[in-house]
Amino acid sequence: MDHTRRRRHIGWWLLLAAIVVLTVVAFAIMWRPALAPQNTIPAFDNARIERGANLAHLGMCASCHTADLSRPFAGGKPMETPFGTVHSTNITPDRDTGIGAWSLDAFTRAMREGVSRDGHLLYPAFPYNHYVRMTQDDIDDLYAYFMTRPAIAAPARDNAMTFPFGFRPLVGFWNVLYLDDAPWRPDPRQSAEWNRGAYLADAVAHCAACHTPRTKLGGPDLKRQLDGGEAEDWYAPALNRHSPSPLPWTREELQAYLRTGMAEDHAVAGGPMQDVVMHLAQADAGDVAALAAWTHGHLSQAPARTTPAQQGGPLPQPAADDPELPRMRLGYELYANSCARCHDVGRAPSSGAALPLQKAIALYDPDPRSLIHIVDSGILPPDGEAGRWMPGFKAILTDEQAGALAAYLRKYGAGQPAWPELDEQVSKARAP
Amino acid sequence: MTTYRLQVNGKSHAVDTDPDTPLLYALRNDLGLNGAKFGCGLGQCGSCTVIMDGKPVMSCLVPVSSVGARAVRTVEGLGNSDTPGVLQQAFIDEQAAQCGYCIAGMIMQATALLEREPNPSDARIRAHMSPNLCRCGTHMRILRAVRRAADRLAAGGKR
Repeated sequence: MDHTRRRRHIGWWLLLAAIVVLTVVAFAIMWRPALAPQNTIPAFDNARIERGANLAHLGMCASCHTADLSRPFAGGKPMETPFGTVHSTNITPDRDTGIGAWSLDAFTRAMREGVSRDGHLLYPAFPYNHYVRMTQDDIDDLYAYFMTRPAIAAPARDNAMTFPFGFRPLVGFWNVLYLDDAPWRPDPRQSAEWNRGAYLADAVAHCAACHTPRTKLGGPDLKRQLDGGEAEDWYAPALNRHSPSPLPWTREELQAYLRTGMAEDHAVAGGPMQDVVMHLAQADAGDVAALAAWTHGHLSQAPARTTPAQQGGPLPQPAADDPELPRMRLGYELYANSCARCHDVGRAPSSGAALPLQKAIALYDPDPRSLIHIVDSGILPPDGEAGRWMPGFKAILTDEQAGALAAYLRKYGAGQPAWPELDEQVSKARAP
Repeated sequence: MTTYRLQVNGKSHAVDTDPDTPLLYALRNDLGLNGAKFGCGLGQCGSCTVIMDGKPVMSCLVPVSSVGARAVRTVEGLGNSDTPGVLQQAFIDEQAAQCGYCIAGMIMQATALLEREPNPSDARIRAHMSPNLCRCGTHMRILRAVRRAADRLAAGGKR
């Protein structure tokens, strides 16, 4: 009798101890202290600010933190995530609504750990899982740059997260899984330029944020680094041996593409990549060349293959025995009467040398989303910028026509097997 | 040659033509609606803009065979010199045309905007009108004309 009672007592004590330990662990994972506000913004030397400006371009900070060009870095831009809509924050040195009260330590902690000055956890839409590997010197430079921007009063906009993700401490568990704080290490087998590119691509430009697929928990799928991901419903192509590109990229082409959005006769940047290019165009040319060297190192591991891109010329009529003949005929008619005016027969006169469609990488992607978006929205330079201009066809093509065109281009333009669930993808991508 | 039924400015028309004829040619050559103009034929300039099912399209890029039952509207459907539509009057008031070649396309592009957003911001007007080019350079007057029409509509004017 006495014996069982004692045993029961030990059971209770063990349970209590387990609860205490779990609470302490959960607390350690989810809670971060506030850091003291700073009262004055320190002075910075110009060289530091200039280096910071370059890093801000390479990191494309404005891409998310500027919603309105007349209010740079004031935040407020909505970003759709699978967990709800997150709004970017004000990173101007405004004391009350921006980061004016943030010391360098607070800024560093945000960059490396994703923690706000007041201790709340930031959502990983802010890619601190990349910035964690920036050198302290680079973080110092970036801090100098932001602290010397004009302060703009702009309170944070409320996020609209789906339950339970509105409870920020949960991000702590994401950090346990995905925040790798091992410092960045150069690869001694590679050149200094390659290593510079590798560092910038990982720690600053966060290429993998889009070009690596994500897990269900929204973290990078680390077993499939750079295997191709997504951005704003566009497919972000694999940047390694899985590259869908039908022609090998040269380093020069990559450099031109990253800097101008155009690699002559090879590729044109569309969708979210246009924004990347806009920022890289303003960054240090040597740094962009390093990014190109690193990217090229990865892409050149893709095996050489034979694709219609090596031939060019007008796309053929569908074969008479094509099992989907009416659909392919419709696709061909639309190609011949709408697309070919610029992409084939009309290339010379004034179309600005639109790509022959056999070379269009979007036709070789593993899913049709980017192609549908390009056909629907065209390729328009950002407001006020010069650039290649392809009109959008969303108002012209019905869903059926858009699907037929995509199916035709995939088969007779790229010679690739049909995309699964193409029609569903078309209506999903085109939904208002 | 195939016969196509086109719904244009509220009327049904039969057009005998090849399936690869652009809608623009059918409008101009078969229906005598010469408002929409041939500019580049490549969807780069917007002078052929008409409205199809409420949305602006460059009619040089639309094969007539793909139109189907969708309702097409051209500048001729907005009014005439005696009773111009709100946008047409605003373009006259702002003297927004120089050679006039792009204007029908401009007005249709603007019509599509004001029907969906009766009171757009200036930035919105700029962005929406950006596909349409004017080689005479009257863009600033064109933007003012669209603004004027929007203001008139906001004040209760009729379309």
